[in-house]
This record gives sequence, C-alpha cells and structure tokens, in this order.
Amino acid sequence: MSEELEEKEEDSEINWILWGLTVLAFSATVYAIFVYVPTEKQEGLVQRIMYYHIPSAWLSFFAFFIVFLSSILYLWKREREWDIYAQSSAEIGVVFCSLVLITGPIWAKPIWGTWWVWDARLTSTLVLWLIYVAYIMLRLQSDAGSMRARYSAVIGIAGFLNIPIIHFSVLWWRTFHPKPKMITPEGFGAGMDDSMVMTLMISLGAFTLLYFLLMGQRVRIEKMKDEIDQIKKERFYSN
Amino acid sequence: MGQLGYLFAANAFVWAGILIYIVSLMKRNQALRRDLELLKETLEKDSDR
Amino acid sequence: MKAYLAQIGTIIWKDVLSELKTKELFASMFIFAVLSILIFIFSINLSIVNANDVGPGVLWVAFIFSGTLGLNRSFTLEKENGCLQGMMLSPVDRTAIYFGKMISNLLFLSIMEVLILPVFMIFFNVDIISVLFSLLLVIFLGSIGFCVLGTLLSSLASNLKTREIMLPILLYPLVTPVVIGSVNMTSRLLAGEKLADMTKWIGLISCFDIVFLAVSIMTIDHILEE
Repeated sequence: MSEELEEKEEDSEINWILWGLTVLAFSATVYAIFVYVPTEKQEGLVQRIMYYHIPSAWLSFFAFFIVFLSSILYLWKREREWDIYAQSSAEIGVVFCSLVLITGPIWAKPIWGTWWVWDARLTSTLVLWLIYVAYIMLRLQSDAGSMRARYSAVIGIAGFLNIPIIHFSVLWWRTFHPKPKMITPEGFGAGMDDSMVMTLMISLGAFTLLYFLLMGQRVRIEKMKDEIDQIKKERFYSN
Repeated sequence: MGQLGYLFAANAFVWAGILIYIVSLMKRNQALRRDLELLKETLEKDSDR
Repeated sequence: MKAYLAQIGTIIWKDVLSELKTKELFASMFIFAVLSILIFIFSINLSIVNANDVGPGVLWVAFIFSGTLGLNRSFTLEKENGCLQGMMLSPVDRTAIYFGKMISNLLFLSIMEVLILPVFMIFFNVDIISVLFSLLLVIFLGSIGFCVLGTLLSSLASNLKTREIMLPILLYPLVTPVVIGSVNMTSRLLAGEKLADMTKWIGLISCFDIVFLAVSIMTIDHILEE
C-alpha cells in the first residue's frame, strides 16, 4: 500500500514540475510573440499567428508519430499500455491539428483575401485531420478490448506511413499556382530574422511541454478507467 | 476586421481551445479519482464485514 | 508455395463463381457508377464549365464510389453466410485470404471500369481510343492502390456494427494520394501528354501501392483473429 502512495507522490511531483515549466514556457512565448519579436514588413501584425500555427503543426505531426510507434508496439507486445498511449496521443494530435486548421484560415484571410486556400500545408493537414478523426470514430464504435486496440493500431500505422505520400501528392497537385514569396501559412520565406527564429523555437518548446502535460493527464484518465473496470470485475466475480 | 482583429481571433481560439481541453481533462481526472476512492472504500468496508 | 497460390486461387474462384451466379454485385457497381456520373453532370453548370475539364474527376469519383460498394459487399457477403468464419477456421494462411479477396475485388473493379469507359467516352465526348493503353495502365495502377488498402480496411470494418459508413470514413482520407494522382494523370493523358512525362506520379502511386501492400500483409493477421 505504501508503494502505491510513494508512486503517487512521485507522480504528482513530476506533474507539478511539468505544470510549472509549461506555464513558464508559455509566458515566455507570449512575451516573445507580442513584445520581443518585431513586426514583419510585408504581412504586418497578422504574421504573428505563425508562432501558434507552425508549432501546432509540428506537434500534431509528433503526436501522430507517437501514435505510430505505440500502435506498432501494441501489435508486437499486445500490452494495453501501448494502446493507451496510442489513443491519448491521437486525441491530442487531433486537438493540435484542429488548431492548425483554425489558425490557418484566420491567417490566410487578411493576407490572401480568402478564408480557405487549397495550398499544400492546409490541404495535407485537413486530410491528416480526417484520418485521425476516423481513428477516434473507430475507437468509439468498438467495444473496449483487443479488437478495438488492434483495429485502431492498423489505422495508426497506415495513417502515419501515408503522411509523406499525401504531402507530395498535394504539393505536386498545387504546383501550378504561383507561390507568394513571403512568410505565409505555407512555409518560410527566404529571410527570416533571427529574433523570429528564436520566438518560433520558444513557442515550439512551450507547445512540446504542453503535449507532455496533456499526455500525462489523458493517460492517467485511461489508467484509472481501467483500474475501476478491473475492481468492478473482481468484486462482481468474487461475490 | 483590422489586422489586430485577426490576430486577436487567432489568439482567442488557440488559448480557448487549449484551456477548454485541459480543463475537461482535469475534470474527468478528478471525477474518476473520486469514483476510484469510493469504490476502494466500499470494497474495504465489505471485506471488513 | 504452390499450395499458397492454390489457396489464393480458390478464394478468387469462389468469389468469381458466386458472382457469376447472381451477378448482383457487378450489376449494382456498374449502375451506381453510371448514376454517380449522371448526378455530377446535373450538378455542374455546363455553360460555364467545360465538360472535358471535369470529366476525369467525375470518372474517378464514379470509380471510387462504386468501388466502395464492391468492397463493402465483398466482405458483408462473407459475414452473412458465415464464410469468413469458415475460411478462418480452415488452415489457410491469413495473407492468402487477404490476397484472394484483394485480387477478386480488383478483378470486379477493373471489369466495371473497362465497361464504364465507353459510357465516359460518350457522355464527355472524349477520345480515349488513341490513349487507350496508357489510360488502362493508369486506371489499373490507381485501382490497385484502392483495392490494396480498401480490402484491408473492409476486412476491419466488416466487424463493426456501422461497417458500411465506417469503410468510406476510414478509406477516403487515406486514399487521397491515389485519387489526386490518378485524376491528374487521366486528365493529362486525355489532353495529349505522354505517359512517359508523368513518371513522378507513376512513382508516387506505385510507392503507395507497395507500402500499403506491405502494411496489409503485416497487419492482416492481427485483424483476422479469432
């Protein structure tokens, strides 16, 4: 019993540190975005959205990579732990992906005049979002157990392996249209000021810490659910 | 909407999105922890009898 | 090795035989493809849009929609008649089941596509005879990708209650590169370009086919478990 208590204490210590670091990192990020970094010449104020947009995209990609690894590990070892990681990371990945899809149009409207542009990044992100939303829907449609875990693992693997293929197909699909030569929702322009790179890195760090924070919470939820189910089963059968 | 308006909107969505998600996770966490405690208590009471 | 191929052959033969008897799958796929084309034509304002521009896209949408019908029916039939269980109980390698189903799906889809081409030619007034060989190659390449991934996912979806809606939801986002590439190549072929100029798309779709064939082979055991 005391082992459990010790584990829980360690757990919450790490949790507090993570919280503290994340809050710190985001404070630094907000400062960097709004005070430190200079306004971009061509796009103006709106360009600052990039510091949310790009890190969200990278983190969603990272989250789906974790889904990929966890899915493979689940199919290999068949341990529920890996299934939990896959599920949690997929959910968080969809959250970040949604942020990309929301900030994208908000950034694009003042710059290009339209809400949606079928450019490479936004379109790929949309397809990615649909793949992982389908993953989540698949999980919701199946009952808990090995079937749900196995099936979602297959989608987790297929989805991630498709990312480079989707990227290139969308890119080549859109190369007829001239790309605006500035820092756009699509990519980096030729010259990014050092302070901008720095701000981007700080934001990336903050978002990464956020990912781990969210993962910790989400994974704990699943583990507690499992524990409750386990206890209910034991109780039911022992009586 | 001026440039500032768009920047504000983006910020609002990002922060709101993150906070709503975190808070919902934390609430679920707390609820589950309560349920777990309750369950363990009733289990102990039963075994005591 | 021979036994393995024989297993695959048996499964394909079984599907072909049952289809020859009822012709239900095939007829519905064909009619559905024609109907899809029709609905699209009605939804386009032909005075503004050149029918030729949207032709390839409409063609592939018809292929995808009726292909989905075929995929769905293929595994649902198995489940309804208890065939799937029967197959899994017999000492057949799971990958043989996969290949068998995949090839029979591909067969039905391909036949339907070939029969739709004359319809396409008439409705959209395009000359496909001059590019027939390249066109068939492009269609076949894309159909392989669709069936490789589609068979895997339909074996998965067939075990869900909402199998008929989950298959498209899972399949379509994953199959977008094939659609983008195939439509691109089809329209360029019809515009007169040579197949040799489209090597990067051919490479992309082939890559897709190979990657997902490998994924299917490696994961089918985990799906078709007792």
